[in-house]
Amino acid sequence: MSSPAYAAVRPVITAWSAVSPFGVGRKFFVDGVLAGQPTAAPLDREQWPGPDEQACLVPDFSVKEVLGRKGTRSMDRVTGLAVSTIGQLLHDADGNRVVRTGEESALVLGTTMGSAQSTMDFVRDSFTGGQPHHVDPARMPNSVMNCAAGQCAIWHQLRGPNTTLAGGGAAGLLSLDYARRLLHHGRAGQALVGAAEEYSTARAWLHRHSGGTTVLGEGCAILLVEPAAAVGEGRRPLAEVLAVQSRFYLDADPRRALAASVRDVLTDAGVRQEEVWAAVGSAVGEPGEHEHAQLRALFGDAAVNRMPGADLLGDTGAASSALRIATVLSVAERSAEAAGKLVVLSAVDPYGTAACALLRLAD
Amino acid sequence: MNRVVLTGIGVVSSIGIGAEEFAAGLRAGRSGARPISVFDTTGFEHANGCEVVGFDPSRWLRDLDPSTMGKASQFSVAAARMAVADAGLAGQLTDKRGLVTVGTTDGESFDLDRLVETEVEDGPEAMDGAGARRVPAPLLSLSIARELRLGNVSAYTIATACSAGNYAIGDGFDAVRSGEVDFALCGGADAMCRKTFAGFYRLGTIAPEFCQPFDVDRKGILTGEGAGMLVLESLDSAVRRGARIYAEVLGYGLNCDAYHQVAPNQSSIERCMRLALDDAGVKPHEVDLISAHGTGTKANDITETRAIRQVYGDRPPRTISVKSMLGHTMGAASALGTIACALAITHGFVPPTINHRVTDPECEIDCVPNESVAADLRVVQNNGMAFAGNNASVILGKYTPGEPAVNGLAPVAVNPAAADPRPADNRSEVKR
Amino acid sequence: MTAMVEERISKIKEIVCEILELDESEVTNTSLFVDDHGADSLGSIEILASLEKAFGVTIEQSELPRMVNLDGVYEVTAEAAGW
Repeated sequence: MSSPAYAAVRPVITAWSAVSPFGVGRKFFVDGVLAGQPTAAPLDREQWPGPDEQACLVPDFSVKEVLGRKGTRSMDRVTGLAVSTIGQLLHDADGNRVVRTGEESALVLGTTMGSAQSTMDFVRDSFTGGQPHHVDPARMPNSVMNCAAGQCAIWHQLRGPNTTLAGGGAAGLLSLDYARRLLHHGRAGQALVGAAEEYSTARAWLHRHSGGTTVLGEGCAILLVEPAAAVGEGRRPLAEVLAVQSRFYLDADPRRALAASVRDVLTDAGVRQEEVWAAVGSAVGEPGEHEHAQLRALFGDAAVNRMPGADLLGDTGAASSALRIATVLSVAERSAEAAGKLVVLSAVDPYGTAACALLRLAD
Repeated sequence: MNRVVLTGIGVVSSIGIGAEEFAAGLRAGRSGARPISVFDTTGFEHANGCEVVGFDPSRWLRDLDPSTMGKASQFSVAAARMAVADAGLAGQLTDKRGLVTVGTTDGESFDLDRLVETEVEDGPEAMDGAGARRVPAPLLSLSIARELRLGNVSAYTIATACSAGNYAIGDGFDAVRSGEVDFALCGGADAMCRKTFAGFYRLGTIAPEFCQPFDVDRKGILTGEGAGMLVLESLDSAVRRGARIYAEVLGYGLNCDAYHQVAPNQSSIERCMRLALDDAGVKPHEVDLISAHGTGTKANDITETRAIRQVYGDRPPRTISVKSMLGHTMGAASALGTIACALAITHGFVPPTINHRVTDPECEIDCVPNESVAADLRVVQNNGMAFAGNNASVILGKYTPGEPAVNGLAPVAVNPAAADPRPADNRSEVKR
Repeated sequence: MTAMVEERISKIKEIVCEILELDESEVTNTSLFVDDHGADSLGSIEILASLEKAFGVTIEQSELPRMVNLDGVYEVTAEAAGW
């Protein structure tokens, strides 16, 4: 339903970064998006002895190499992805801190189920160890889904609301909506918003046994979202978040729910369908084909063709819709035509959510 | 901004299923502790926990096949169906705009335990496909929407561990307050699992027999399980349809320690409680009762009671721990705590902290040992704290028809007959 | 000091340094984990858990207050193992 909340706060995106199969940091992401280069590659079967032959991995990603030795001994991959993405966002190319954090900084981080690998490794020791309590205490926090968000808070001093939102493929858009609500109610002055998903052998097995056929990918994208009024002189928003909506879909058919969410965001923002410049879906594989077909039907081929396909990075799970926002911002950065344009982003999650966001790119 | 009220309660717990049974359990100081049966405890020297017994999911599920759902989802869906029926809204939410959000610590880790067991015995190829399909955490919320056929809701799971229930309630409160949604169905759920038991056991924080928060001889937590779900709606909506109002949600606070993954941080907990009080528009001296996080570990209870005394001064309100009865129900804990607060307001009593012998001199509070006491409660606070330093406090107020809110917010016009609570019998769901 | 004892001491030091993220050169037999090396209570439990696994012993949590430096850890482990 229509909400006055959007108008009141006018959340804007003022910075972003991503750690993805294109590489660590925003620059690699923008280059990768513009080059349109697929990232699936054969897996090193010694490191990844699961069911997959190939995946889309962050190249040579090692938590210790990216973040150093201190404080990373028991840090798992998804935590490393999130901590490093936020680190990239908060610092400039020379490593200087450019974004302040503290009590007013919220973090809303989307996930599917945290690190399945960490959770399963932790309990495995209980079955295989000499005693059932011979589990690794240092790894216990990793077996809980809020580990990544909590570590991000510790590393980057984020002392506002710290929310881990399990929303599957729609997590990025759901997190954006959740963050908008936090800002609207004055629960934080700014919010780091995004989602992270790791590739792991455990995730690969769960995916395979669930009947998944997509090539798995991984990554994390984080946006800095603030009320427009908080953006001072000399800083320029990259995009305004005009509206976000999501719906549970019944009977395994997301089409009606997606159509309703699209209709809602357009109505909320007072935007006509034909004013939308680009329409971007997040799902891959067969659900992605359906999602894109629906977007084509709603907004036309030209609007859909303005953005590269979602499958360059593989099935990035919870991170997918957050990475798609990053994709839109990447295109905007290098395209004069994109200035001031309206973009619809959608996500269709296999578990039951269809979601939609409407952004206006900066002039 | 809408005033937000609590009109429906659903509970699955070790001391009672349903709002009435749960209230009776709280009042009687019932203990949920018993030897754990849901997983093999061979090799652990002691293994008590607070299991839900006598729970038959088919009693609450009409559409969904329980074998397609994990235990936490079964709990969340059962509690949601109860809450909706309790609110007198069964079958009426299909097209209403709503938010469904369930907090959790472990999601469907009970299933993950079993998948790992299979993997250890027979290799990863042998894992059960049905089990693998049950484990994604969003299902704790989406299953509610699916079972209740809610066609116009956003549904997601909040995974901020042991404060997740309060996080979810706060989110629902904000969504109803601003009028974004007509109703919020929010709370928390978790199912007991070997992973979490073994973990706390390894940390040396599992009590051998029972949980004794604030006691000088306390020995730690007992793991528990269950779900607590709440229906929140605007006061206007509740009054218009003559709903029973358990309590008004006055406000909440959230923050993060950004300090340590497992150790609590006193000043940050203080700040969280202050944020909640400010949001609710109430002063510390107006709070009549605190339902503490109160896990029964040495570190938590000392840190939390010190934080309470910093905020509330030398004569803090009575401070109880329902974990003495329920054990630590993880993601459900703060939702069940908030529900306990609402029932305490409605029925006029303070739930006790059971298993209590001698209060730890380092926990200088009145924990209402062992026996509940009658009390007229106007403002009640519920604390939730979690791994990763995720703190969340929720504040509830007594709702009196026609009167301004406890925090001074304006009253709404009330039809006294409509506001009269119907007898609980008439509101409980007809069971299949 | 016998070779066996030296080996045990060296193993214990390796475990402690791994857990506390320290170089072996930074730690002496009497330097304090908490005060000198910034360890926390979770670190102490990790050390206890690792020793139990490495040496196949059981160490009561009530011994943690003695396990404040390498000497203390060796003493407690030796008692638990009957060395």
